Amino acid sequence: MTTDISLQNDEFRAGSALGIDHRKLGIWLFLSSEIMFFGGLLAAFLHYKINNPSPVEHDLLDVTLVGINTFILLTSSFTVVLGLEAIRHGNRRRLLTFLGLTMLLGAAFLGGQGLEFSELYRRGMTLQSTVYGSSFFTLTGFHGLHVLVGILWAALTLRKAARGRYDEGHYAGVELFGLYWHFVDIVWIVLFTLIYLT
Amino acid sequence: MEANSKPATSIRTYAGVYAVLGLITLIEILLADSQGGMSRQVLTPAFLMFSLAKASLVAAFFMHLRNDSKFYTAVFLLPAVLLLIFALLATVR
Repeated sequence: MTTDISLQNDEFRAGSALGIDHRKLGIWLFLSSEIMFFGGLLAAFLHYKINNPSPVEHDLLDVTLVGINTFILLTSSFTVVLGLEAIRHGNRRRLLTFLGLTMLLGAAFLGGQGLEFSELYRRGMTLQSTVYGSSFFTLTGFHGLHVLVGILWAALTLRKAARGRYDEGHYAGVELFGLYWHFVDIVWIVLFTLIYLT
Repeated sequence: MEANSKPATSIRTYAGVYAVLGLITLIEILLADSQGGMSRQVLTPAFLMFSLAKASLVAAFFMHLRNDSKFYTAVFLLPAVLLLIFALLATVR
């Protein structure tokens, strides 16, 4: 006997009968795989940091500059939730404003990271110089790449918002983008502590 | 998603969370610069606790895990817990 799943009702097929949205579950599963991805890179960095300590290179890190960058990223998370709240209340103009601000803050973070990288390179710490340098630039570089992807995602979300695809009843795209952006923020919170502060 | 979203957190709460996140970051920067007369043995656990607090605040309030299905929390935390276990195992010689 065969079963035609197209005959099932939409609620069953979407999984919402379980109280779980399939799109949201998908992004959470993706984010959990990202934890393992960054976990591997972080484990490599900590292994080299602990077993092959390099105080000279650690002292080159500019905690104040990176602290300000951390604050910028935290601020961008705040603008994302403000944007989500705006569209939940049907205010598309405020959503556009906050998405634009989020993109600017993300670009400012990348600019700060670029400044940090160029200064480290100028002082001799490069991707090839030592294992500390290799693991540092790989880890923070991949995080920067995730921020860049987030900015592009924000741009797509902004374009859809500008075309009127979101309103107080339909804002899934904004929420999914927000989950990714906040995750990138959490990863940075952890990296800031383990790389720069400890 | 919109169908099963829980009541939203207020803007005031979001602003409060943001203020706490900013304050913790400021304390971290000041402590890292001055050391505050404290040893690394004291500072390192303090920084780790600050980091955990900030990450938890972002996940609970900004990612809405506080109000959403606990299943999402489990999906998110499981790899983090596994990672912690692997890290602890790696320190055992």
